[in-house]
Amino acid sequence: MARVEATIGAELAEHLGRRRRAARRERLRVSGAQLVILLAILGLWEYVTRIPWFIANTIFDPFFVSRPSLVAAKLYHWTFGKQAGYLWPHLYSTLVSTLLGLIVAVSTGFFVGLLLSQKRRLAAIFNPFIVGLNSLPRIAFVPLITMIFGLGIASKIVTAWFIVFFLVFFNTFKGGLNIEPHIINFCRGLGANDRQITRTVRIPNAAAWAFASLPNAVAFSLIGVVISEFVGSVTGMGYVIISALATLNAADMFAAIVVLSVTGISLVTIFRAVERRLLRWSPEFRDLK
Amino acid sequence: MVLPMIEVRALGKVFQAETREVWAIGDVSFSVGKGEFVSIVGPSGCGKSTILNIVASFLAPTVGEVRVNGDLVREGTIPKGLGYIFQKDTVLPWYTVRKNISLGPWYRGASSDSVDRKVSSLLSMVGLQGCEEMYPHHLSGGMRQRVALLMTLACDPTILLLDEPFGALDTHTKLLLHKQLLEIWERLGQTIILVTHDLAEAITLSERVLVLSAPPSRVILDYRVDIPHPRDVFSIRESPEFTEHFQRVWHVLGEEFRHTDIAVSAGEGSPPHGES
Repeated sequence: MARVEATIGAELAEHLGRRRRAARRERLRVSGAQLVILLAILGLWEYVTRIPWFIANTIFDPFFVSRPSLVAAKLYHWTFGKQAGYLWPHLYSTLVSTLLGLIVAVSTGFFVGLLLSQKRRLAAIFNPFIVGLNSLPRIAFVPLITMIFGLGIASKIVTAWFIVFFLVFFNTFKGGLNIEPHIINFCRGLGANDRQITRTVRIPNAAAWAFASLPNAVAFSLIGVVISEFVGSVTGMGYVIISALATLNAADMFAAIVVLSVTGISLVTIFRAVERRLLRWSPEFRDLK
Repeated sequence: MVLPMIEVRALGKVFQAETREVWAIGDVSFSVGKGEFVSIVGPSGCGKSTILNIVASFLAPTVGEVRVNGDLVREGTIPKGLGYIFQKDTVLPWYTVRKNISLGPWYRGASSDSVDRKVSSLLSMVGLQGCEEMYPHHLSGGMRQRVALLMTLACDPTILLLDEPFGALDTHTKLLLHKQLLEIWERLGQTIILVTHDLAEAITLSERVLVLSAPPSRVILDYRVDIPHPRDVFSIRESPEFTEHFQRVWHVLGEEFRHTDIAVSAGEGSPPHGES
């Protein structure tokens, strides 16, 4: 009997091991394919921009599209090479503006969203303004914001706020309206007064919806900051790109784009982790976008 | 004569639906004594849940009145000592089990030490010891419903209104919860009104079964289930008395089902709760 069980146990272990190994092989295969595609694109880019015919007859002229090796060299110069120290202040400025814009937008969006979701009359009064503002192309306001708030960090933060606010606001507002009356009745039955209902039911519920918008919010905040830097500023990655346009330097632009991409991806990844941590009690909220 | 704990007098309720008025409760009167366990059954749309909502003050009646412990129930003022369990999930997902069960006492300003002890003893009462620090999404539907029950019991209610609390559960879980509910009631002696669509459940648990007619509803049968407590929820179903009681009530209830067209009756359990 024991031997039969031992045999079954061994077989089961072997089966599970096989499955695990197969899953790992599958993951490796996918990552491998992705790496090959990336290298192929970079290789083709590098190769084509060295062939005279392509340079003369297509857009694959290194003057316009640069070349991976040039971009890599530029990134090296900016960080450790002969221009060391050039990148950091700009990156720092963009990052700080993005995070400050995010903080201001999330807190105001959450507060206004929660307030309007609880006050029917206020919501009815403000509804057309909010819907109107939201459907405007908000980028159109960036030059005006720059005119009012100047070339410093203030206009970047205001732009980021202006773009992100609505995202957080609508999510929170929707969440605030979404509470089921029976939950409120139940808590009242447990003895809660209005203040306690707000604290233990309405705020956590709305916060969950606001948290769910965080990864998108940080991505939009970065977009807002870079646009603001395009329009008028003396620091930031957007400024680096616009300066490169002025000097017609494609390598600088691509290098800045690479830095911005890495920044954006890192920020979204970090805030996805933050969101997951904050919403650890709720698997369903995490996939809500 | 002792005052009844809950007294429902000539109750009527009309709901405003989109284009028409739905007369859900016609003329319902009954009373429930202190410590009594009463079930209400009836066809869809007869306003069973609405009656509970009115007793709990979540809704105002169109006509008639409800008294709890002799005091008139006014909309929005929940009678003292009243606990309410919904069919729908009411456990707050952002709090742990411990925090959820502590909410009631915390709302009422109890000290956290006494609450902690209470939480542990309550949890072991329904076999959920060790779940204190879990979040509700880790729990099954039946476990969450038990937590909801404990959230209410933590407030030491003398009256429990149960609105189809077992409706969404599988048979095995349902029977387990029946057993635990009976144990709690036999020990603490609350006054209980259970609304259910499951006649077997009503007969298994309660001392009296009220059968409501199709809307506009009236009480068409007030039936005493004279099977002594404590009852064994598992074996009771095999007993001849159970079958006999079941058949007698079913004789009335089944006719009512037969003559109620679901399509024209109001969606039961979907009155505009707390709509303002």
